[in-house]
Amino acid sequence: MQMGFFFDQTRCSGCEACRLACRQWHGEAEDAVDLLTVTEWESGRFPDVSVKWTVVPCLHCAEPLCAAACPAGVIAKSPGDGIVTVDTEMCLGNGVCGAPCRDACPYGAPRFRNGPDAKMQKCELCLQRLSAGKKPICVDACPMRALDAGPLPELEAKRGTVRAVEGFRYAPEARPSVVFKAK
Amino acid sequence: MNPEDSKVEVVRTGGCHDCGGRCPYKLHVREGRVVRMEPDGELRACVRGYAMRQRIYSSDWLTRPLKRIGRRGEGKFAEITWDEALDTAAHELKRVKESWGNGAILHVALGGGVGGIHCFAATQRLFNQFGGAVRMWGGPSAEAYVFASRATYGTLETGNAREDLENARMVILWGSNPVETIFGTNTSYQLIKAREAGARFICVDPRLTDSGAVFADQWVPIRPGTDVAMMLAMAFVMIRDDLHDARFVERCAVGFDQFESYVMGVEDGVPKTPEWAAARTGVAAPVIEKLAREYAVTKPAALITGFAPGRTERGEQFHRAAAILATLTGNVGRSGTATGGFDRVAGMPMHQPAYLPWGKNPLEAGASRMEGSLDIGRRNRHRVHWAKLWDCILEGVSGGYPSDIKLAYVVGANPLNQVQNVNKGIEALRKLESIIVHEQFMTPTAKFADLVLPVNSHWARDDILRPWYVGSYYICANKAIESLPETKSDFDIAVELASRLGIQDFSDKDAEGWRRHIVETEPDMRDHVRDYGEFRKEGLHRVRTEQPTISLKQQVDDPEKNPFRTPSGKIEIYALRIAELDDPKVPAIPKYADPEEGPSSALARNYPLQLITYHSRTRAHSVFGNVSWLKDLEPQALWLSAEDARARGIADGKSVSVFNDRGRIIVPAKVTERILPGVVALGEGAWYTPDEDGVDKGGCPNVLTNDQYSPGGAFVSNSCLVQVEKA
Repeated sequence: MQMGFFFDQTRCSGCEACRLACRQWHGEAEDAVDLLTVTEWESGRFPDVSVKWTVVPCLHCAEPLCAAACPAGVIAKSPGDGIVTVDTEMCLGNGVCGAPCRDACPYGAPRFRNGPDAKMQKCELCLQRLSAGKKPICVDACPMRALDAGPLPELEAKRGTVRAVEGFRYAPEARPSVVFKAK
Repeated sequence: MNPEDSKVEVVRTGGCHDCGGRCPYKLHVREGRVVRMEPDGELRACVRGYAMRQRIYSSDWLTRPLKRIGRRGEGKFAEITWDEALDTAAHELKRVKESWGNGAILHVALGGGVGGIHCFAATQRLFNQFGGAVRMWGGPSAEAYVFASRATYGTLETGNAREDLENARMVILWGSNPVETIFGTNTSYQLIKAREAGARFICVDPRLTDSGAVFADQWVPIRPGTDVAMMLAMAFVMIRDDLHDARFVERCAVGFDQFESYVMGVEDGVPKTPEWAAARTGVAAPVIEKLAREYAVTKPAALITGFAPGRTERGEQFHRAAAILATLTGNVGRSGTATGGFDRVAGMPMHQPAYLPWGKNPLEAGASRMEGSLDIGRRNRHRVHWAKLWDCILEGVSGGYPSDIKLAYVVGANPLNQVQNVNKGIEALRKLESIIVHEQFMTPTAKFADLVLPVNSHWARDDILRPWYVGSYYICANKAIESLPETKSDFDIAVELASRLGIQDFSDKDAEGWRRHIVETEPDMRDHVRDYGEFRKEGLHRVRTEQPTISLKQQVDDPEKNPFRTPSGKIEIYALRIAELDDPKVPAIPKYADPEEGPSSALARNYPLQLITYHSRTRAHSVFGNVSWLKDLEPQALWLSAEDARARGIADGKSVSVFNDRGRIIVPAKVTERILPGVVALGEGAWYTPDEDGVDKGGCPNVLTNDQYSPGGAFVSNSCLVQVEKA
């Protein structure tokens, strides 16, 4: 069953605990990268100001454009849970291929550390945590419990089927596996 | 989880220095190194916790004792051995004691450590056995709050358990920003649950904080230092329209008549109307009027007051006025309320720190009890208020301070950065004969030390942690890694100094022995933690109650039978203990005075902007100020309103010069719609980094703040005027 991601924009306070939890969980180096993006969206004029955030990891699209773009064919969509994974060791490195995966992804999910010939890393929904019966680290880190991950039909049943939210465009050509609660 | 995870050992510990939260977490240790941190399932950490690994493995960690070889503050040091360092420290302490007496030693100690054993408690114990050292008083955080809560309710334990917030129908966050300050692990989660249960949220704050952004149905921007005027006007509306809970006030409080007389203008001819308040606060009269009515009729309602509005010239008036608004509306001792008191939870002492016992300070022998007293003069005879640290060093006995200070011994503190008026601080530190600092990094204060003793990390220690504000749980912090070579804990240093100072029986236990001792002897812990071995293994003991605790319920249910711990036994709108002080600057009923350093003062002609210094989510005071993961998350910048920026031709991200007579900072501007025009804001805790002209490029707001304290003992950091120009 396709795995998906849920984001409750009404609960997000922009604290970025998810972001640093992800970074430290997946990398030991000082320059470890985050595998998700937190963006602040401010609108209005004083004193009628609104601030919202979006949290976007890899959304494990039904049609992963990153995989289609990869010249080495090292990005794969798992037939069972639909999680999009990368074989980092076989990745050519962005110095060789110019990282078309990153350009193809509407959400910036493919990540590269600084420096020459960095290999691609991406959110795999914390596969090892999932297999241990846990949620991804970002979900477990969120102080507001604004994030969730699980089989997409279950998320839809529990959270609804809102596909877009301020600061996020649903890409129909990719069909990201995500639902939202909008603010 | 990861393929190599069979090699991973999970160690339970927690804590991020002097943070508003106190979070337990699990460390994944592989081959002696922490590779990951995992949150507790329920008590969830924030970015500070997730960046701790980078802090602890920083290449800047001090790993050798250091002796100053340059001018103070120049940052030139030579590495020395521990034997030389400890011998030097002991020699200096003995020399100063013999030449000048113990009163010449100032123990500059604060809560920058983690835990209750390896922290300033160890050096406090050492000094007490060495004949004493002058101590500081006046919590830089919330002294006004403490003062007001004691005067009004007779206690600091006025708050309900956080889980009870869900029962509130209205929440006013007044100068309170728990998303960033945390203020009790999980507080923001409980607030969002309250919101989802239908509570309406109002945020009164000069800034639209991240808390305001996520919670507020309405943001009420207000000029710093004028909150009391708005609160009095709210009381005016309630009294005028008979919206206050007269039965509750009659039954549970004293002094309403005096308060009414002042608010309605009978006493001084000035009715504290919404229009009167609007002129002072910048909040439109109809907004005040509407909020007053809403707060008076929506029950239950929780007025949650932050510490920041109390860090002003008359900070205690803010907290007094808040408590009285809660009293007028009957929002005390009931589910779904907050009292405007200090709001620790009654009967849950585990949210007060558990320390290594330090005994009595011989220098304070014969002094009447200082803790709990509202009498500042009495405390000042023996101790030094934190805001007066520099004046005390510069002026000594001739300035009315307890003694002439020759040696400062700094533990768990970074006073040059965190006490107001940095430039005066430099002058004071240069005057001392001797400065000894325990530190982990070369902080702005450590740069001025003659001797720096390198301290290990709390991940390398066994210790005990309790939440300091709301709980209710204990953390058994377990050692996860070895100390870096040549680093020691504050406790280890105290033990080694004791023998050099001729103190025979400083400690009959090691740290583990003390931890066990604390768990087994502290009355609350003894009752809750029955199995020490289990506590160590689990690293966490939670105390769960069937229903969330409601503080002051018994007092409110039957005040005759269960009196408040005030002289009258009631909530004191007119505070008898304050009246006894007989100080016109602390009236016995809360009163408003225009700030002396504020928009209506003469100083505003040169310095027209009010500076406030908020707590950033990326630091716990100055701790984490050198951690790049956090610095990059939110680079230090001055919040400047779009209007004020336009008037000065300043663009977002450009450098600005922020200055007043006390000093000058150059930082980037964050031009934003999220702040009241006329107000600028700079996060506290950024490290003072002077250039050759003494201009701070680090953005430490204490270069600009005033080193005074309020009549109740509050830092006045948020009563500060500045000017801003293009740099």
